[in-house]
Amino acid sequence: MPEREFDITIGKNGSVELHVKGYKGKGCMEAMKMFQQIVGELKSEQKTNEFYEPEEQVRFNIDQRH
Amino acid sequence: MAAATSLGYQVAAEAAELRKSFEVEKKESKVQLDIENSEVVTNQLGRDQHITVTRDGVTITFSRDVRGRASLCVTGEGRTNDELRALGEEMSQAVVQQYVYQKLMGEMRSRGFNVIEEELSEDRSIRLKVRHWEN
Repeated sequence: MPEREFDITIGKNGSVELHVKGYKGKGCMEAMKMFQQIVGELKSEQKTNEFYEPEEQVRFNIDQRH
Repeated sequence: MAAATSLGYQVAAEAAELRKSFEVEKKESKVQLDIENSEVVTNQLGRDQHITVTRDGVTITFSRDVRGRASLCVTGEGRTNDELRALGEEMSQAVVQQYVYQKLMGEMRSRGFNVIEEELSEDRSIRLKVRHWEN
């Protein structure tokens, strides 16, 4: 059972930055969708160097819309 | 009112009937601001209810109209309108940030996430490190 780790920053204006670790392939996209359901739609997405390695790390910015 | 206390404000009054005691004096400046997404953010506040907080001579009153729309009224003696507007916007942002924080924490706990680190940064952002085991 793989361990997933998330670094989450809630900005002073309520915006959310999410840093995902521990996902391979498109698995991180599922995690991103889950956080979108919680806090709102995706504002921007930045793939880190690790995205192209076997274990990916992806950074997302999610806007609070609810 | 976690947003207000996080910024160092103290709750001065929560009842609508106390509104008159906080009416603006002539020497005070006054700024009125809307709270973005207030219909969902301010569920703590009943309709036609007011909550007043104070800090360093500045008074901020949260209120909701009968349609649920929330706003802030910021007053303070010897303060410019720009200063009061900045304080009001800071408070408005803190309300939204606390709403997002509470919502995230509740959803993550219900989905089995473990918060292993939490800190408030100097720039007032909230940093969380969470872990989750998946099948």
